[in-house]
Amino acid sequence: MGTPVATALNHHMPAHIAIAGCGAITAVGAGVATLWEAVVANTSALRQREWVIGKTTQNVTAGFVPEEVVKALRVTHPAHADSRAFMFAAAALHEAMGNSGDALKNIPANRRGLVLSTTKANIEALDQLNRRQLVSLPAQRQIQPALLAADLAVNLGCGGPVQCVSAACISGLSALQQGALLIQRGEADVVLVVGVDLISQFVLAGFHSLKSLDPEGCRPFDQARLGLSLGEGAAAIILVKRELLPSPAVCLTGWGTSNDANHLTGPSRDGSGLALAIRRALERAELTPNQIDYINAHGTGTSYNDNMESLALRSVFGDAVPPFGGNKGLFGHTLGIAGVLETVICVNALKHQLLPGTPRLRERDSVAPESLVATPRPAKNLQRVLKMNCGFGGTNAAVILELNPA
Amino acid sequence: MNTTVIHAASYLGPEGFGNDLTGFCPWPEALAENLKKGELDGLHWSLLSNSDPSRFLRMDLMCRLGFMAAELLAINFDALPDARRDRVGVCVSSFTGCLDTDIRFVRMPRPSSFAYTLPSTVIGELCIRYRLKGPVLSLITAAPGGAASLTEALEWVKAGDADLALCLSLETMNPSTVGTLVLPPELAPQSWHGAAMLLGPAENGAREKPVEVGSLQALCQKLCRLASHE
Repeated sequence: MGTPVATALNHHMPAHIAIAGCGAITAVGAGVATLWEAVVANTSALRQREWVIGKTTQNVTAGFVPEEVVKALRVTHPAHADSRAFMFAAAALHEAMGNSGDALKNIPANRRGLVLSTTKANIEALDQLNRRQLVSLPAQRQIQPALLAADLAVNLGCGGPVQCVSAACISGLSALQQGALLIQRGEADVVLVVGVDLISQFVLAGFHSLKSLDPEGCRPFDQARLGLSLGEGAAAIILVKRELLPSPAVCLTGWGTSNDANHLTGPSRDGSGLALAIRRALERAELTPNQIDYINAHGTGTSYNDNMESLALRSVFGDAVPPFGGNKGLFGHTLGIAGVLETVICVNALKHQLLPGTPRLRERDSVAPESLVATPRPAKNLQRVLKMNCGFGGTNAAVILELNPA
Repeated sequence: MNTTVIHAASYLGPEGFGNDLTGFCPWPEALAENLKKGELDGLHWSLLSNSDPSRFLRMDLMCRLGFMAAELLAINFDALPDARRDRVGVCVSSFTGCLDTDIRFVRMPRPSSFAYTLPSTVIGELCIRYRLKGPVLSLITAAPGGAASLTEALEWVKAGDADLALCLSLETMNPSTVGTLVLPPELAPQSWHGAAMLLGPAENGAREKPVEVGSLQALCQKLCRLASHE
């Protein structure tokens, strides 16, 4: 290889991709309105349930989607009644499209794209096949994430580009980035971004074997935290060209990813990789750190993650870390959904001018910056939000949302 | 704007392995039959090099393929200063992803293999190996071939999001694992390959070649075969 070119080229303009609608199926229940009520109340939907892990039955505290929600979805989607992944994703997408007003009107199918974000798609079908249980063909096919994406695209009438991101716990933010890029490159006018993941035997066995689950339920940024709690469901965000949406509009203006180049299952101890992703997002949005009003952290509840995030925030924002918090005490760590779902909360925070709290927090860990928001409170002038996630493989991602950017 | 070119390309498949510099070689006879059938457990880095990277034996098949394809590029990333490695992106696309590892894990969950049930883990392995901190993207596609990772890597370089982009197309199959579950035909892998390419702006280097948008697998294969005849 010859000598690489030394200059960093910056051809991209700040993106103004608007968010037209949101949808969610979570442990709280169905719908964004229900989710937002729980955010405002700062409650937790983590519940204990008996689960067979390996050869023993154990109590697992996690954010399970309520059974009554699943039953109702089986009525709405009879052809996919044994694919919770399809039902959750389709329900979130239909809600998001329903909330999008006139933005999708007159957009032909071939200009509607779809980006799916997931770590394991309909993985419970693999568990079932392994136990020699009957599984329908669509549910088997949806083990493969891109085929799940294709089935959702058909159901939602998307004839434009379809992508599937599977990048551990940054999948959601990575999918939002890909959706924005499809619009920015002129490949679509509207992109439906949807995240879906399930609590399954497979996933529980994995996190249990790593001893990273908190038996009582996660407490992100708390002095007494013991680990994470899993969550499941789906979240959807409809991205559109800015000109398709009247003001006031929440826009996606910046994004960035990075790798720690450090460890497969643990984050870099100094937060430098995450700081790099945050700086990339700020650069793309043409913002400086002091212009950020609120940060929605990854906040899994593991010491390694929470401490690393705290250090990354101090590295970028110095002593002036803006108010920040994490939502996983409400619905658990939803893996491939996390980026989309927590962005849905950020969108609502901007719309309602409210800083969400950090559910299940009792006493702030001393490493966490003092600006940690324990309970929800009204915001004075919330204009710009930073959302970040990190994942296995040392991956980091950050996005920036702005209310009516100039 | 600078033209984006291919700095290096490599390919491993049932018929052999190689890169765009040295050309294509068949597999050693002792392994050739198994590799043709897609039995990949015998695939080991020591087949291609005397060095034995310590992490290799811990990896799943997808990571091993990715690792071998990247090493075959013969790029000395260590020669780049830290600030430059921060601007090298890694993009991977795959149809099969880590299905082989998923099936092994569902049969016998082991802490050491859980991280390998994610198709993005290969990116982590490569970033650790070469100390790369640039943008990352892991795509699962509805068909094999790697056109998606080639397209996205090209966009990164064109947009200035990365100075160099390492893109890979990785498909594994291992009938002795995958064949233990009855999967619908559309999920069953039909073949395997590992293809890697380093893209960047033109710099008048000896190995620079024009990018053709399309299948990363086919392009890497073609460049290796062309080198064999040069």
